[in-house]
Amino acid sequence: MKSGYSGLTPVQLTGLFLGIFGLILPFLLPLGSLSFAGQIGLGIFLMAAVFWMFEPIPIYATSMLVIFLQIVLLSAQGPMFMDAKLPSAEPVQLQEHTWQIPTRALKDDNTVLVITEPGKTEAVRVDVVERNGQHVIVRSEELSSDRAIVTDTGHRLVNYRPNSYTDYIGTLANPIIILFLGGFMLAEASVKYNLDKNLTRYLLSPFGSSPRFIILGLMLVTAALSAFMSNTATAAMMVTVILPIIAQLEPGDRFKFGLALSIPVAANIGGIATPIGTPPNAIVIAALTEYGKSISFTDWIIVAFPLVIVMLVFAWWLLLAFFPPSVDKFNLDMKGKINLSPKAIGLYVIFGATVLLWVTENQHGIPSSMVAFLPVAALVTGRILTKNDIRNLPWDVLWLMAGGISLGIGMDKTGLAVWMISGFDWGAMGYITLILAFGLVAVAMSNFLSNTVTATLLMPLVISLHTSGVMGDSFNLLITGIVIAVACSLAMALPISTPPNAIAMSTGIIRTKDMAKVGVIIGAVGVMLVLAYAVFYWPLVTN
Amino acid sequence: MERSDIYILCIEDEQEVLDAVVRDLEKLEEQFPVETANSAEEAREVIEKLLEDGKKVGLILCDHILPGDNGVELLIELHKDERTFASRKVLLTGQAGLDDTVKALNEARLHHYIPKPWTREDLLEVSVSLLTDFVIDEEDNILPYMSTLDAERISESIRTRRSISDE
Repeated sequence: MKSGYSGLTPVQLTGLFLGIFGLILPFLLPLGSLSFAGQIGLGIFLMAAVFWMFEPIPIYATSMLVIFLQIVLLSAQGPMFMDAKLPSAEPVQLQEHTWQIPTRALKDDNTVLVITEPGKTEAVRVDVVERNGQHVIVRSEELSSDRAIVTDTGHRLVNYRPNSYTDYIGTLANPIIILFLGGFMLAEASVKYNLDKNLTRYLLSPFGSSPRFIILGLMLVTAALSAFMSNTATAAMMVTVILPIIAQLEPGDRFKFGLALSIPVAANIGGIATPIGTPPNAIVIAALTEYGKSISFTDWIIVAFPLVIVMLVFAWWLLLAFFPPSVDKFNLDMKGKINLSPKAIGLYVIFGATVLLWVTENQHGIPSSMVAFLPVAALVTGRILTKNDIRNLPWDVLWLMAGGISLGIGMDKTGLAVWMISGFDWGAMGYITLILAFGLVAVAMSNFLSNTVTATLLMPLVISLHTSGVMGDSFNLLITGIVIAVACSLAMALPISTPPNAIAMSTGIIRTKDMAKVGVIIGAVGVMLVLAYAVFYWPLVTN
Repeated sequence: MERSDIYILCIEDEQEVLDAVVRDLEKLEEQFPVETANSAEEAREVIEKLLEDGKKVGLILCDHILPGDNGVELLIELHKDERTFASRKVLLTGQAGLDDTVKALNEARLHHYIPKPWTREDLLEVSVSLLTDFVIDEEDNILPYMSTLDAERISESIRTRRSISDE
């Protein structure tokens, strides 16, 4: 397992040096069209990607480092751009359509940059008439004496208007982060008052004692809980439910593999069902919202829920096919009593009201992130959660998501994202091939990387395919984004793929090859299913 | 199974008894290396050496009648030392009188008392339970201990303490 700061493993050490090298690499290579800010952005991107892959520092630490580097190196208030001003001047008219401009205003490709609005320029082609040292005389019909031109085309502010540093640090209060905060506080309170366990006990009872239906019940309950709570906390809780069942089996019984695998599989899939189900959803929703493609809580459920159900039933069938039950009957004896203290009842009411308001967002129109403040405020006002509980929230996940959102903003603003997709003929690929490719890449990547990190690294590309327009009219930003989010959650072939997988593997019940077998099939079938939904169903329910 | 840096220390002056304890703990030894000592003095040296190497003492199984300082005195001393405060302490003895036992309970916060003769099942059960307490309290990453120790309690601790989060 990972070691602490006492010693980095050779892999982590390699990652540390590669990451630092990645930060400076863009300044060592001739990158032509990439702006100065784009080079900084690329350096930060390379460092973050390497750090997230090799984990020389924890992944949330990388996210915080990203925000730090952005506010220092890219923001308008940072030392790089603090006093910078784009050198500009009006061209001097000599005759009609003949202008004298400074030599440095002329680019190598005989264009001049005309300032159209602050931070934006337009390249205008000119004919060079005569060069005389400091100045050039050019002919052009497009220049005008009331439109300033850039007098130093190599300047770091060309085509870059730095954001305020508050845009980067403000990602921690991004509406989607607040939505997750609300979800985290509900989950925290649920664990504190054992709502998750009691709900499980209650929801499992209709599934009887037949092993087939117990597995189905376990999977449905796990998925339902992980749609609103952390996948990891849900998986950990469900492991405590299945261990006593597994103890009833003969030691050599293969059915236990299926039982133990059903938990991480259902927890991973369940996260897809709602916006707050799992962090990659947040990265995608934040990026989509930034480009005017916001998706409501209700719409997300309409999009994702039918997929989740089909995936769960398929996974159930798959597990039973691989690991058929060997006994006819199980005792599912769950101890516990529903907590009826006033605070617990307060929690049930707040939980119910919040979820109701979330899923009916389309009906009343109150944004889900606003609703999320209901549990935030109510749980502490009612002293259902105390100071210590708030300290116990998974702040690392909030920072991880904030860093991911911030990286996306930087990549877009510096022109890096568009630069990265240039040089490849995306249009020739076709929209459906593109969706399939993104789905496969996302599943493959997030089998090895954090799901959130995968979404973070892929979303800027999706966004720039949208803004650059290279894909033409057939391209649907919203659906492509959803494909990324869903595909990230379908990666579950390895113990390191997701924390629920790691927990299930740590019980010592499952073998890696069983997890790999089931995980690869679910990933492959899942991507095909996503493609089918993206082509046939999602266009009907989104706009 | 990867070796952890959490050690089990057995202190017993009769070599055959010590061997029997070590044999009974065989199942745990792969992950929790076992160190032995024949006296309180030797135990101190072993502990010093382990701590110097950056290791932790997770579980101390100690006989009462030892040459030099007795077991209860040693456990009280280790309880007062902040470096071994968290170590789970077991008195494994047939000869400690009521006074000594009470003293061990009150002053060393003895975690368990195993009377001799013990059974392997008892010893293992107590050791697993106490090591589970120790890793839940002391370790950042408790997943590697799940298959050897009490998986249910470790899962429960992941659920309530959120030591692992979604990523």
